[in-house]
Amino acid sequence: MALLVGGVSSYLISQSLREREQRQAIRSLSEVLETVQSTASIAAFTNDNQLADEVIQGLLRNSDILSVTIIAGDTVLANGIRSSATVFAPELMDKPLSQSLASPFNKNETIGKIILQADWPKIEARVKQSTLDTLYLLLAEMLIVVLSVAAVMVFFVIRPIKKVSDRLHQIEPGLGSSIRVPEGHEKTEIGRLVSDINDLTGRQMTLLEEARAMQQQQQVAQRKYQNLFDCAASGIFVVDRDGHLDSFNQAFATLIWRSKPVNQENLSLFDAAWSRSDLIRSLLVLALEQETIGRIVTDDFLLLGRRGEERWLNIAVTAPGDGTLQGTMTDVTARKREEMHARQLASLDALTGFANRQGLLEAIGQHLARDHAQTSFALLMLNLDGFKQINESFGVPAGDEVLGIVAERIRQFIQPGDIPARSGGDEFVILFDGASPESAVDQRLNQFLSLLQQSHAMMTLEGTRVISLRASAGVAFYPQDGTNVHQLLRSAELALMSARTAGSHTYHFFEPSMLVAVEHRRRIEDDLKHAIGEGELYLGFQPIINLVTGEVVGAEALMRWAHPTRGMVSPDVFIPLAEEIGVIGELGLLVLENACQVVSQWRSAGHSLYVSVNVSALQIPNLLTPSIVLEALKRHGLPNDAIVIEITEGVLMGNIGTALEWMAELGAAGLRIYLDDFGTGYSSLSYLKRFPLHAVKIDKSFIRDLAEDSHDKALVNAIITMATSLTLDVIAEGVETEVHFKMLRDMGCHFGQGFLFSPAVKAELFAETVVDIEQRLALMNAGG
Amino acid sequence: MKLNFIAYWFIVFLSVIAPCHARADLVVVTGPKTGVPTLSKEEVVNIYLGRYRRLSNGLPAEPLDMGEASETKKEFYWRLVEKTPAEINAYWARLVFSGQTRPPATVKSNDEVAARLMSRPGVLAYIERDKLDKRFVILYEFER
Repeated sequence: MALLVGGVSSYLISQSLREREQRQAIRSLSEVLETVQSTASIAAFTNDNQLADEVIQGLLRNSDILSVTIIAGDTVLANGIRSSATVFAPELMDKPLSQSLASPFNKNETIGKIILQADWPKIEARVKQSTLDTLYLLLAEMLIVVLSVAAVMVFFVIRPIKKVSDRLHQIEPGLGSSIRVPEGHEKTEIGRLVSDINDLTGRQMTLLEEARAMQQQQQVAQRKYQNLFDCAASGIFVVDRDGHLDSFNQAFATLIWRSKPVNQENLSLFDAAWSRSDLIRSLLVLALEQETIGRIVTDDFLLLGRRGEERWLNIAVTAPGDGTLQGTMTDVTARKREEMHARQLASLDALTGFANRQGLLEAIGQHLARDHAQTSFALLMLNLDGFKQINESFGVPAGDEVLGIVAERIRQFIQPGDIPARSGGDEFVILFDGASPESAVDQRLNQFLSLLQQSHAMMTLEGTRVISLRASAGVAFYPQDGTNVHQLLRSAELALMSARTAGSHTYHFFEPSMLVAVEHRRRIEDDLKHAIGEGELYLGFQPIINLVTGEVVGAEALMRWAHPTRGMVSPDVFIPLAEEIGVIGELGLLVLENACQVVSQWRSAGHSLYVSVNVSALQIPNLLTPSIVLEALKRHGLPNDAIVIEITEGVLMGNIGTALEWMAELGAAGLRIYLDDFGTGYSSLSYLKRFPLHAVKIDKSFIRDLAEDSHDKALVNAIITMATSLTLDVIAEGVETEVHFKMLRDMGCHFGQGFLFSPAVKAELFAETVVDIEQRLALMNAGG
Repeated sequence: MKLNFIAYWFIVFLSVIAPCHARADLVVVTGPKTGVPTLSKEEVVNIYLGRYRRLSNGLPAEPLDMGEASETKKEFYWRLVEKTPAEINAYWARLVFSGQTRPPATVKSNDEVAARLMSRPGVLAYIERDKLDKRFVILYEFER
């Protein structure tokens, strides 16, 4: 290698030396040529061959020059060749030096040239010699340098390193002994290296000790884990991605195979009788996908026993990152059973065994989840008529019995695929699967309603009663009446409400106009709330006349609503609304206050009149407490008989105890209480006996056809007779003709009101009306 | 203005150097029997500086030179090849040894010039224009 480098470098050096010598030779020849140029040009100018020859002879004295030729114009003026030329080398003849000669008197005019041939072999020989000399010199110098460097290396590097190496070989590994620094190297790199090695061996010792301790610790831990593994109650296993079991514990074997199999080779997780081993496979895949984050994935899987018994096992697996999977397995059969039971409970109605509201929503959801294009079904929402009354009259067990009967009849009626549900109270919903044409549903519903109506003998506290169930129903179709659960239920409900409004025991199909009606109602509700604030509501007063004396004794306060755009709105519309939206209490107070104010004006004007106000069942007892009534009377300085309370049978049908208490308190304070609309409801005679009433008001429906309808006449007569015998006053409503008036008077009815006398008028017109009525009655009495 | 200034100094410079070389009006002449109408400047140079000593009609040319200290000689060589007499001497010094050519023959006076010109054809000389003789033929005139 060194030889090669030395050879190449020597060659390069000799090349460069040679080139330099050659360049030097050419330059010196050129210089020589320049010195003779002016003389040569004179010779050429004058064609003086002798002078030219002299120049040539002079030049040939230079030993490097082989030959010289001077040319004037086109002819050779003179030439000369060295006689002692050693070798004539033609290959060098192509490198002559040539210099053109200018006229001595005109630099621009070329008159000839001088051509000089160098003696190249000679120059070469000289160059070679000089190059060799230089090379020898260089070699000698290099030799000296190499030797001295080698000596330094041996004495200061190699020998100390050898010493260190020898001592390192003598060191006993693991004993932590250190090596000595070679003499005289305490402060050199060798010394530092030795101390570094000593440090390293020291550190290595510490590490070794630590590793030994850790190994020991690991062995202990491993024994512990082995125990845990063997004795754990949960199954523990390691599998590869294909489910081949690498290792598992006793618990795992017991869970899967009941006992540890003898042959433990080539077992697979999928060998067990899983009901869906594909699900386990996808769990493993999922765990492997999450390998990088090491997440634990878990799920429950069903294992089928030899005798078909079910075992639920929870498997939790995680991938530690080496392509295997570690997992635990726990028996969750008990939990699973509880869950299923709880789920059943949560979606089932205990009374009927139907789905409950939750179950219904799930069922509808499942139907909706099917392919939309092929799914169609109808939702029937059913509500029993008068169920509340049954519950109240005969008790909750009776109500439950009724619900049971309904459920039974629904069961008889439905077809496979239909889903019945009790969505709450007396509300049932039936999902007719695949029911598309309205006419088919129509027919089925008619069948059902007549089935429902069949009489049923029921044991009650008051003996056996035969009841006939009546119901209203609303039907909505999927998909035209709604595309989600809530829309569908809402549509069915609207149809049901529409059916209920239309009358008992009927059904309606949902129509988009029902939504409009609901919207309309909602707007009226808003308007009503607004009206209360804005004073659009006012009281009208309809006079009540003593039919015998022809005197006006009082007036019934009737609420009127002058709607700014709809005109007069009937109390039949807005009073139920007010009850529903919860403003009836406010409205009641408004009526009471207004009535007190008006009656106090009348009283101060000298008319000893009373005003009766209607009280809704909802106002009793909290929205219109007796103390509120009494306080109002007191505030207006009125005696307690100035205001009369009118209640309906509905009040008496609610919580009887509360109503009774409320009435008793007002009665004790001297207020009179009238029973309104008598004859329209249950009209139980027992009410008249049990409640502290002062009068009954016969509903105007009985009075209207009094003259023509003998039944009505008999009924009115009976009411009058009975009330009189109970010392109750009787007030006939809707007295519209003179015939009514006279018949009632003759039947012994004491009081009446109606269009014959006057409609309800505003308070300020009342005095005028009274005068008018009394005048007309005087005329009538005189005439009759 | 500046240009005028430069032009002014240029003119001044010319007026200083011009007299050195344009003092005398020199012409190259020959005798009436030479038979050559004119010479080019190059021919004058070749003849005087020894390149050729033969005229275009084959007659040998015989140039005459003035004495060493002659202003006319000095003027002549300067205007001919822009060399001083010393340089011309040095030139001839290198040639005379070979013996192949000789410098022009030197004459001492204008009278001698006239005598030589008249003596035979082919003799050439340079003289100031105002020394011209009616017998002389002007071969070359320096530009003025």
